[in-house]
Amino acid sequence: MITYLLRRILLMIPTLLGITVLVFTVMALSPGGISPQALIGGMDMKPEERKALQDYFNKRYGLDKPAPVQYLRWLNNVSPIGFHTDEQGGYTEFSFTKGMDLGSSFQYGRPVFDILKERIPITLLLNLVTIPVTYFIAIAVGMKSAANRGSTFDICMGISMLALWSIPTMLAGVLLLGFFANVQYLQWFPTAGISSREALDMPFLPHWNDSGFVRGFLLDRIWHLILPVLCLSYGSFAALAKLTRTSILENLNSDYARTARAKGLSEHDVLWRHVFRNSLLPLITVSAGLLPSLLAGSLIVENIFSINGMGQLAVEAVRGRDRELVLSITWVSGFLTLIGYLIADFCYMLADPRVSYD
Amino acid sequence: MINNEISHESFSARIWRKTLGGVGVKLGLAWVIFLVFAAVFAPFLANSMPLLMSKNGVISAPVFNYLSQEDVWVLAVFFLALFVFRLKIGLGKRVLVYVLGGFLCAILVSLWIKPPVLIIYDDFRSARFTDVDWRIMPPIPYAPSDYLRDLGSKGLEAPLATDGALHLMGTEENGADVLSRMIHACRISLSIGFISSGIALVIGVIVGGLMGYFSGIVDMLGMRLVEIFEDIPTLFLLLTFVAFFGRSLYMMMVIIGVTGWSGYARYVRTEFLKLRKQDFVQAAVASGLPLTSILFRHMLPNGVAPLLVAASFGVAGAILSEATLSFLGLGVVDAPSWGQMLDQAVKSSTFNWWMALFPGGAIFMTVFSYNLIGEAFRDAIDPKLSRNAGVN
Repeated sequence: MITYLLRRILLMIPTLLGITVLVFTVMALSPGGISPQALIGGMDMKPEERKALQDYFNKRYGLDKPAPVQYLRWLNNVSPIGFHTDEQGGYTEFSFTKGMDLGSSFQYGRPVFDILKERIPITLLLNLVTIPVTYFIAIAVGMKSAANRGSTFDICMGISMLALWSIPTMLAGVLLLGFFANVQYLQWFPTAGISSREALDMPFLPHWNDSGFVRGFLLDRIWHLILPVLCLSYGSFAALAKLTRTSILENLNSDYARTARAKGLSEHDVLWRHVFRNSLLPLITVSAGLLPSLLAGSLIVENIFSINGMGQLAVEAVRGRDRELVLSITWVSGFLTLIGYLIADFCYMLADPRVSYD
Repeated sequence: MINNEISHESFSARIWRKTLGGVGVKLGLAWVIFLVFAAVFAPFLANSMPLLMSKNGVISAPVFNYLSQEDVWVLAVFFLALFVFRLKIGLGKRVLVYVLGGFLCAILVSLWIKPPVLIIYDDFRSARFTDVDWRIMPPIPYAPSDYLRDLGSKGLEAPLATDGALHLMGTEENGADVLSRMIHACRISLSIGFISSGIALVIGVIVGGLMGYFSGIVDMLGMRLVEIFEDIPTLFLLLTFVAFFGRSLYMMMVIIGVTGWSGYARYVRTEFLKLRKQDFVQAAVASGLPLTSILFRHMLPNGVAPLLVAASFGVAGAILSEATLSFLGLGVVDAPSWGQMLDQAVKSSTFNWWMALFPGGAIFMTVFSYNLIGEAFRDAIDPKLSRNAGVN
C-alpha cells in the first residue's frame, strides 16, 4: 500500500516537470517572448527609469539569459531542494531545506504564493460544493430512469441530459446572470463575488435581532454560490446521469441480480443493496476526470460571475504575460488534477474489494 | 424451417445504416448541412447590396463586385467538393484531388479577385442603387459590419422592433444586424471544428500508432506526453497558447488541434496494442513492408471505428473551445464569431437577451448536433456502450 502510494507520488514528478517545460516552451517560443521590453510595454516613463526597471527585471528574473537557463533558474527557485541564491542572483550552496519560492508576479508585484493562497480556496470551495451536488442529482436521475427503463421519464431524461450536456457554460451563465441577477428582470441573486461586503461582519448563522432578520455569513455565502454552482454542475451531472443509468441497467440484468430476485428479494432490495454498490464503479472511474473539467469550467464561471478564484487569475495572468504566475498556476492545477486521480483510485479500491494495488 | 439468409452488407455499410436510422441524428445532420449552406452562401444571404438589379434596362449584380477573396475561395471549394463527390475514384485519390484543387483555387483567387478596399454601405441606400427599375435584395439586407449610420440606428434594437428597419434578431450596440453577423460567423465555427479536430486526429493517430505498435519504451515515453497534455486543464493550456501566440483564425485552428490530440492518441494506442500481435500484422511485418504501410494501410482501418466516434465529439469540443476563447476575449479579432457576440452581450451596459440568446443558441445547436451524431455513431459501432444497452 505504502509502496504503491510512494510510487504514484514519484511518478507525479516527471509529469509536473513536463507540464512546466511545456508551458515554459510555449512562452519562450512566442513572438516577443518574455522580455523586459514586452513587460514594460507602453508604460509612460523617462528613459533612465525605463532602463532601471529593465535592469531590475533582468537581475530579478534573469530575463537576459537564454531560455533553458531561465527555466533551470525558475526550477531551482521552485523546487524545495536546490541551490541557495544570493542577492546578486548567483548560486551559493546546495541545500535540502531551502524551501519553495514561487517568485513574485510581474503584474501585481506580490509573491505568487500569497496570491495563490488567496485564490485557490475560493476555486476549491466552488468545486467541492459542486461535486456532491452533481453526484447526488446524477445518481437520483440515473437510478430513476434505469428503474423505469423505456418509460416516458427515461426517454425524456435521455434526450434532455444530452441537451443539457451540450449547453455551453457561458450561455447558461450569461442567461442566468441576465435574467435572475439583473435589475431589468428578476433581481433574486447577487451579480458578483462570493460574499457581500457587509456579510463579513455578520455572525456565522442566520438569526433575528432588533433590526429584523440577519442572514448571517453562511446564508449569504450560499446565496452567492447558487448560480455559479448551478452553472458548473449541470454539464457534469448530465454526463454522469447517463453513465449511472447504463451501469445500473447492466448490473440489473446480470446473474447475481437474477439470483437475488430468485431468492425472493424485493426489487427495492435488489436495486439498493445489490446492484447499487456495483454500479458505482464506473462513476468513481469517471470522477478522476471530473476535476480537470471542473477546473476548466470554473475558469468560465469565475469570469462570468466575477469570482476572484484561480480561473479568473489564470485569465489575468496569461493576458498580462505574467510568467511566474502562469507557471505556478499551471503546475498547481496539474498537481490538483493528479491528486484527483490518486483519490479516485483509492475510492475505487474502497468500493471494490477485488481491486488492490499491492 | 429456418430461413438462413446471408447478409452481404459490409461492416461500414451496416454502421452507416444503423447510424442514420435515428431521428436525432437526422436532425443533427440537417442542422449541420444548414450551417454549411449558410457559411458558403453567406454573402448572398446577408448583405447590404442588391443581388440583382436592373437600371435603365441594364441588368447588373453588384454583390459579385464586392465578394472578398475568402468568399470566392469558399464558394469554389464548395463546388469542388460537390464535383469530387461525384467522381468515381478511390477515397485516397479523392482527398488528393480535393486538397490540390483547394490549393489551386486559393492561388487563382489571390491572383484574380481584387475586391474594392473600402466599402461604404451607405451608398447602397443612395439613389444610385435604389432608384432602379427593379432589384432583388438578399433575404437579410444588412452586411455584418454595416452599422446603419445613415438610417439613424442607435443600436440595441430589440428583435422585430417596429421603429426603424426590421431586424429579425435585433441589433447589437453599434447597430449591426445580429442575424447577419451570425450567418457570417458560421464559417469560423465550422472551419475551426473540422480543421482543428482534423489536426488533432492526425497528431493523435501518428503518436498513438507509434506508441501502440512499438510499445515498450516508446509507449512509456508517449504515455507521459499524453498525461502531460491531459493533466493541464485543456482550456488553460489553450489560453496560454492563444495569449502568447497570435490571434488569427489559422493560428487558433492549429492551437486547438495541438492541444486536443491526447484523447485520440489513447484510443489508437489501445487498438494498436490489441492488433500488433495478430497474424495479419505479423504477416505484414514478415513480408518486409515499410512502417507507414503497416501502420496506416493494415492496422489503422481495423482500429478506426472508435476513432470516428471520438472525432465527432471532438468537433463539438473544438467549436466549444473557439467559442470559449472568443468569449474570454482571446478569439479572432477582425471577424464576428458566436463566442465573441456572446462576449459583447456581457460587456454591454444593459442586459439584452437577444444578443446572448441567439449566438449562444447557435453554439448550443451546433454542439448538440455533433453530440447527437457522435452518440448515434457510437451506438452503431459499439452496442455495449449504447444508450439502449441492457434494455432488451
